[in-house]
Amino acid sequence: MYRNNKEKHIFNESFKNIMLKHIFAVIVIVLICLSGSEAQYDDKRCKCICPSLLSVINTTQSSSERKTYIINVPPSECKCENVVLSKVGDQLKGKEEIFCSRCDCKYENRNTTIIKIVVILVIWVISLLVIYMLFLICLDPLLNKRIHKASTNIGYHEHNNEDDDSSTAPGTFHAMGERGNVLNRVGHQQDKWKRQVREQRRNIYDRHTMLN
Amino acid sequence: MEKFPLKGTTLSNNTIPQNHQHTLTTYQSVDTKVENSDDVYFVDDAQSRKRNTPRDSNLSSDDDMLEVNNTSSHHGQNTVLSEHIRIDDASSHISVDSDDIPGIGQYDDFHTIDWQRDIARDRMRHRYIVKKKHDSIWGLIKGAHDAWSGWLCVLLVGLFTGVAAGIIDIGASWMTDLKFGICPQAFWLNKEQCCWSYNETTFDGGNCSQWWTWPEVFSQSKDGAGPYMISYMFYIAWALLFASLSASLVRMFAPYACGSGIPEIKTILSGFIIRGYLGKWTLIIKSVGLILSVSAGLNLGKEGPMVHIACCIGNIFSYLFPKYGRNEAKKREILSAAAAAGVSVAFGAPIGGVLFSLEEVSYYFPLKTLWRSFFCALIAAFILRSINPFGNEHSVLFYVEYNKPWIFFELIPFVMLGIIGGVIATLFIKANLFWCRYRKTSKLGQYPVTEVLIVTVATAVIGYPNPYTRMSTSQLIYLLFRQCGVSNADILCDYNRNFTAVKSAIEVAAAGPGVYKAIWLLVLALILKLVMTIFTFGMKVPCGLFIPSLCLGAIMGRIVGIGMEQLAYNYPHIWIFSEACSTGVDCITPGLYAMVGAAAVLGGVTRMTVSLVVIMFELTGGVRYIVPLMAAAMASKWVGDALGKQGIYDAHIGLNGYPFLDSKDEFQHTTLAADVMQPKRNEALHVLTQDSMTVEDVENLLKETEHNGFPVIVSKESQYLVGFVLRRDLNLAIANAKRMTEEITGQSLVLFTNGNNTQSHSPPPLKLKKILDMAPITITDQTPMETVVDMFRKLGLRQTLVTHNGRLLGVITKKDVLRHVKQLDNEDPNSVLFN
Repeated sequence: MYRNNKEKHIFNESFKNIMLKHIFAVIVIVLICLSGSEAQYDDKRCKCICPSLLSVINTTQSSSERKTYIINVPPSECKCENVVLSKVGDQLKGKEEIFCSRCDCKYENRNTTIIKIVVILVIWVISLLVIYMLFLICLDPLLNKRIHKASTNIGYHEHNNEDDDSSTAPGTFHAMGERGNVLNRVGHQQDKWKRQVREQRRNIYDRHTMLN
Repeated sequence: MEKFPLKGTTLSNNTIPQNHQHTLTTYQSVDTKVENSDDVYFVDDAQSRKRNTPRDSNLSSDDDMLEVNNTSSHHGQNTVLSEHIRIDDASSHISVDSDDIPGIGQYDDFHTIDWQRDIARDRMRHRYIVKKKHDSIWGLIKGAHDAWSGWLCVLLVGLFTGVAAGIIDIGASWMTDLKFGICPQAFWLNKEQCCWSYNETTFDGGNCSQWWTWPEVFSQSKDGAGPYMISYMFYIAWALLFASLSASLVRMFAPYACGSGIPEIKTILSGFIIRGYLGKWTLIIKSVGLILSVSAGLNLGKEGPMVHIACCIGNIFSYLFPKYGRNEAKKREILSAAAAAGVSVAFGAPIGGVLFSLEEVSYYFPLKTLWRSFFCALIAAFILRSINPFGNEHSVLFYVEYNKPWIFFELIPFVMLGIIGGVIATLFIKANLFWCRYRKTSKLGQYPVTEVLIVTVATAVIGYPNPYTRMSTSQLIYLLFRQCGVSNADILCDYNRNFTAVKSAIEVAAAGPGVYKAIWLLVLALILKLVMTIFTFGMKVPCGLFIPSLCLGAIMGRIVGIGMEQLAYNYPHIWIFSEACSTGVDCITPGLYAMVGAAAVLGGVTRMTVSLVVIMFELTGGVRYIVPLMAAAMASKWVGDALGKQGIYDAHIGLNGYPFLDSKDEFQHTTLAADVMQPKRNEALHVLTQDSMTVEDVENLLKETEHNGFPVIVSKESQYLVGFVLRRDLNLAIANAKRMTEEITGQSLVLFTNGNNTQSHSPPPLKLKKILDMAPITITDQTPMETVVDMFRKLGLRQTLVTHNGRLLGVITKKDVLRHVKQLDNEDPNSVLFN
């Protein structure tokens, strides 16, 4: 009776674990597929920041306004003469040199694919963690409660205290098949982990012995 | 009475301490000699017999030993006997490494490791591998693998640290900008990346049409009171969401992921075990929580926790190599290298990382570890640089390149900055410690998530109206470090400059109204950041301290810098400026002051010196600012040390009562070992005898006492010391023996001797010589505590035995030493926890 319930419980847990792993694998594959077809944004640019044209043409007026000129050229041609003058050269009327000497040109590159993959990965990890957290908060106590109710006769209360640790050791489940063993081990690992987290929580949030 | 123990096996008492080192290096050839003796232990030990087969291999140590044997065998019976014993002593160390009892050599949670024992174990293992190397190809491969596994491990650690840092940097910068708006065409880009190829904008960035702020997403207008309120609300809502997620993930999955982690890493590296502190879940939750809490706009940085993350990676990878995974002392070499990689990626400063590991966190740092740290930091920095998370070809957002000279007179304001920095830092440490202590003892500690939410709301509500606190702290630091130029259009650079001059000469100019407004806003930001950081550091989310303290210092420095600049502009002919500033060019750079101020506050908070200066100049790529930075760091450290004793990390170690024996403090009291040792005057010392206790007696002793180890003596009457055995090993060995052999009952004798006993009782004896440490460090009761403390620090001891006239008197553990130090410093000795 007790073992059956326990089994079911462990099975649920490990099933969910395996599901999570599958979902994760799928995400990774999708990400890799997506990453191939990405050329929407340029990854190179030459960026020139210049003061507004007025400051050169009409020197009495000082303005804090800046203009940026962005163009996709090889790094060797990332100069004001190539970038800015091709666009506004006709308005400058011979003051090109004064204007260009005050422009700040920089060649930059980036990798949008990496950014995309990382951001999507971060979103996925956070949402998985949140879903798992909600599961642990809402559903897990319900499942546990059912098991508790079913097994109160046998005096099975807290399957996570120290005494129970020895009885649920993987060695005691030798009789079961290979598959059961794997599931057991996963479930056992998870129980162990939960116990550790509970212990950490006790140390930090209740007893305040650490990490204050 | 005195003569008696000199006979028989107890001769080892005299011979072992002196010869220990010698026998350790030469035991192997002696095995061969004794192989044919009737020593039961050796017959049992299959491994040692196998090892004896290659007799003709001529190692130098073998030769040495044979010589020793030849000379000593001329002496009588006693010497031969003593040799037998020595051999056994050496073999007892090998068997520690052998796998016959699972779990031997590991430690329990919250225990101190025994560096001596672990290093001896590793030496044994190494010698065994070297010996096997000449046997077969497989042995050769194994030896080669062993030799490079350390480098391989730090290579992997470096690789993954770089990747983790890249993910955190990209994720955090994206999520930070999510508070302001979104890039609808490619939601994964942050604001700057979204406007990457947008043409013809004014540079303040407000009107890049691809980036939609939240009011734009919902209504069409951009300016005005309504959209401002929408932005404000969205800012607060996102901040709340991120902070609550971070706090609840930490609470749910890995409570150890909260805080900065550096005090704990320091404690762990000094030889303490905190199980799970460097585990996978801590790694995942710390990384994710860090992204979230940085994005929430809280006054915290991701640089300090990066060290913790790197150490988690180091710990996880060390399990791939049993050499490191199974040996706690060796594992700490990898962790030291990982800490270096952590700082390396946090600041893009590989050398600074190595020095940080050496100066601040590591306890045991041999040259080999230095080189590994160097390599690890290099790899990590290289990987992060290839990921290029900020698109600026550097691994930090606030990298600035300076090449302006500074004039000699400026050293005075730099030292002044150091002094102010030290004062601010002390203020911060005291206030933060007070608040943390209050949190620890009051009801506030029961509401960790609520606390995070309240602090987040306060930070967001007060911070949003001020543009300098609205932007992320890294961006603010970048702004403050930068020079005013054409590419910097902030009001901070609103000088009345003549635009007809050539661009490279940014001359001193009168400050416009924008600068004065900016100064006021910066003062407000300084106050807010200082106060909020005090409340933030120590909350139950991952939070670091480097960035907020750098920011405080940078604000302070920039204000002083602007002041100096205006002074030089208005009075260019005072003698102090007369030489450099007469031309009006390259005179005073406020950004440099910001940098020096940042170094000063960070130096005051953490009390770093060398590593701090190196980190700062690696950040700026300018070697010529070493002297100003050094002056400021030194001044700040002096002021800090004068006003308050400890840096923030040591203070937090003290607050939490971690068993950390600081090698910086000096022990100046005149107490003796006899005053400190346990047991005190009228208590009994719990010991084991070498051959007269039964299993039942031992089990009762284990049940009744809580000591972590027991000295083994010849007999209760003589009190002559034989060795030391750890409680954990004893437990494991007894359990193992009961499982393996049925005959062991409660009545079986526990033997710590060779077992050449003649009496044949019905229950066979339980032989535990393998787990006995025959070479414990001993001192006499008259040893001054100065020496004892030094021994604990330098040798990394876990305990030492106190003898008087050669008889065992008591034990001093690390905890006793820590309590004693606390007591003499008039602090509560009970605040030392664990162990």
